[in-house]
Amino acid sequence: MRRNLTALLFVTALLSTAACGGSTTPAPSQPGQPDKVTVGVIPILDVAPIYLGEQQGFFSSRDIDLTLTPAQGGAAIVPAVVSGQYQFGFSNVISLLLAQSTGLPLKVVSNGNNSTGVDEDFAALMVKADSPITSPADLAGKTVAANTLKNIVETSVRASVRKAGGDAAAVRFTELPFPDQPAALEAGRVDAVFVVEPFQQAVLAQGGRKIASSYVDAAPNLAVALYFTSQQLIAANPDLVRRFTEAMKESLAYADSHPDEARAIIGTYTQIAPEVIAKLTLPKWPAEINRESVRTLADLATEDGLLTKPADVDALLP
Amino acid sequence: MTAALRRATLVVALPAALLTAWWFASAGSTDFYRPPLSRILAAFGETWFGPRLVDDVLPSLARLGLGYAMALVIGVTLGVATGLSPRLRATLEPVLEFLRAVPPPVLVPILILVAGIGNTMKVLVIVSGCVWPVLLNTVEGVRNVDGVLADTCRSYRIRGQARLRHLVLRSASPQIVTGARQALSIGIILMVISEMFAASSGLGFTIVQFQRGFAIPEMWSGVLLLGLLGVALSVVFRVVEHRVLGWYHGIRAVQRQ
Amino acid sequence: MTAGKTGRTGKPAGRVRLGLAGLLGFAALLELAPRAGVVPERYAPPTSRIVAALVEQAGEQRFWTALADTARTWATGLAIAVVAGVALGVLIGATPLLRAATASTIEFLRPIPSVALIPLVVVLYGATRSSTLVLVVYAAFWQVLVQVLHGVADIDPVARETALSYRLGRWARVRWLVWPTALPYAMTGVRLAASVALILTITGELVIGSPGLGREIAVAQTSGAVPQMYALVLVTGLVGVAANLVTRGAERRVLAWHPSVRAEVPV
Repeated sequence: MRRNLTALLFVTALLSTAACGGSTTPAPSQPGQPDKVTVGVIPILDVAPIYLGEQQGFFSSRDIDLTLTPAQGGAAIVPAVVSGQYQFGFSNVISLLLAQSTGLPLKVVSNGNNSTGVDEDFAALMVKADSPITSPADLAGKTVAANTLKNIVETSVRASVRKAGGDAAAVRFTELPFPDQPAALEAGRVDAVFVVEPFQQAVLAQGGRKIASSYVDAAPNLAVALYFTSQQLIAANPDLVRRFTEAMKESLAYADSHPDEARAIIGTYTQIAPEVIAKLTLPKWPAEINRESVRTLADLATEDGLLTKPADVDALLP
Repeated sequence: MTAALRRATLVVALPAALLTAWWFASAGSTDFYRPPLSRILAAFGETWFGPRLVDDVLPSLARLGLGYAMALVIGVTLGVATGLSPRLRATLEPVLEFLRAVPPPVLVPILILVAGIGNTMKVLVIVSGCVWPVLLNTVEGVRNVDGVLADTCRSYRIRGQARLRHLVLRSASPQIVTGARQALSIGIILMVISEMFAASSGLGFTIVQFQRGFAIPEMWSGVLLLGLLGVALSVVFRVVEHRVLGWYHGIRAVQRQ
Repeated sequence: MTAGKTGRTGKPAGRVRLGLAGLLGFAALLELAPRAGVVPERYAPPTSRIVAALVEQAGEQRFWTALADTARTWATGLAIAVVAGVALGVLIGATPLLRAATASTIEFLRPIPSVALIPLVVVLYGATRSSTLVLVVYAAFWQVLVQVLHGVADIDPVARETALSYRLGRWARVRWLVWPTALPYAMTGVRLAASVALILTITGELVIGSPGLGREIAVAQTSGAVPQMYALVLVTGLVGVAANLVTRGAERRVLAWHPSVRAEVPV
């Protein structure tokens, strides 16, 4: 029994030491050494530019040792950026406006991705093949699936409904993760879905059709998501923030002008099937932020009641 | 000090000390994500004692109750059948062990496919997790029926329904109650998980929405409420257990002396 | 399941054959249901396609990295929970005053569902391994603690009196009296804690996004890669079964000296 006891204690100690492997916060950099930077991203097509930029060396050439950490959503990324665990994060515009209105010390540094601005967009409001709904105005009183409630999907879809002359306040939203939306639409559990790629392809494959491109209806060339950081980092290391912003601008411009390479890199950090990647509609990746569209979204969000205080867009944007 | 007073002090002392420590440690906190306890308690009152109690909390509890009851019925029925038949047990055991190991949030998308996004799905999620402790403990309980009692039943020709009620179920009931106890804590967890995904109302849903909307003191108050709920349910369970298993506790106490 | 009592079930080979038959029957059911249209085939693929996707995954480095991450988080969380649970359990259990004073706090904290902590740990630690680790340790700790407390309380009064009459010191009492009595309960606690820890590890990775199998499942979901997602679910189930076998094996070896294998104590 003594032998078993010792063995048990030994194994426990071994397992405990195995724990102390990963570190969470990067160590402060020494002069001459590249800065260790962690960026929180969501593993979707929108972030292809930063992956592409890392591959092309735009970050390492500016002394940035980049680590990209996938997370499930803005709700997980924002706290990590505020507490300093991530230096930068990726989140959609409405989440950032909401965060700022509660007093969180965030500042946008770079553009993330935009709508294509034309009817064929990377996101769409879609219905089943045999649905009687033909226009967003018909959605009054119906149920639309949104992946997150009280966020950019609601704002955009309501904008579509308003544009088509319908009653925007009468649309009901139900929360459903994107992956589960095509099947729910097919089974008739929701009347319409607002999906992004690659799920747009999935709905099309099962015969669904598009009734609106809500990101286009919300504002021209809508900025959908942005990269941001905390005020602390800007105060502590403004040079790093500047270098990161420049690297991002270069990455965005590169991805926008090299769509085939963007498609290739999407296959490395997602599990989207290659034949689907070839058919995807890619977002636009302009290097500059479309400030006007951010202001429009802020107004729409206030009108819909998502924002209780008017947002200070100029304080949020660089 | 009288014995009752002493006992009351012991019960209250440590929690009171911890709460006080939390109060003072967080009093001056400016950290957005760790608000002062005073703000959390203020948010608790205004968030939960209003229409939300009826709109969110009660439906969640109702789904929990329904799912739990179904899990008990299914678990005990299947457990008794499996426990009594060694062949059935040998056939089903690997499949059950496998299904048990799949974490509930992974099952949610599958259940959404089968049962949609309404109350049925949420109740099914609760059942799918709660049934395992009940089932496995019932099987163990039925297997460990005392041999002497079984032989006595056989000599007195007690068969069928009577044997099931008086021998099998009664012998297995302490073990079944153990399983039911574990199933209760799992049930609360699953109630929250089932509302984190495709939901539009409910306790878990509300807490997650607070988190996503950066309403942090309200979120903390929701976590507190879940804790209180867990405690309340476990107290209720203990009262029910005392009545149902009174005979068993008595026998054990006598045996231990 | 537990050792012994194979008499009525026949030869072990017969049992294995029946078990395999059950597994094959289940796999066949899952193969036929989508093909027959009971569930939509596009979103619930038949077994053959899932197995094919699994074989494909097994050839990729990221799959094994994720598996290693999950195993590490699980083992770390379990180890911390077991050490803390046993240490605190023996300490609290051995002192009647401590046991009385902490009883109410334990009864309050124990039923708090670990998922209630998810929003908390996300805002405190972000999508890192630490968040999931907190969840795992929290849930597993109580399983171990409660079992050890029961074990310490179950010390045979005659043995305790004997130890006292022979004037055994505190450490000798712990070594020869408390530890052997509590060990079977502790092992039951470890077994329960192991399965809880695994479920919470995957849940944390799935919901929060910490590195591991759960996150791979989430990535497969957001990519719309349905067969790959089910393949990972299959792996999760297999890992759970493996973890169960490992802890049962450990329990049987550590308790080889014990006259009977203890049943789980009503908690």
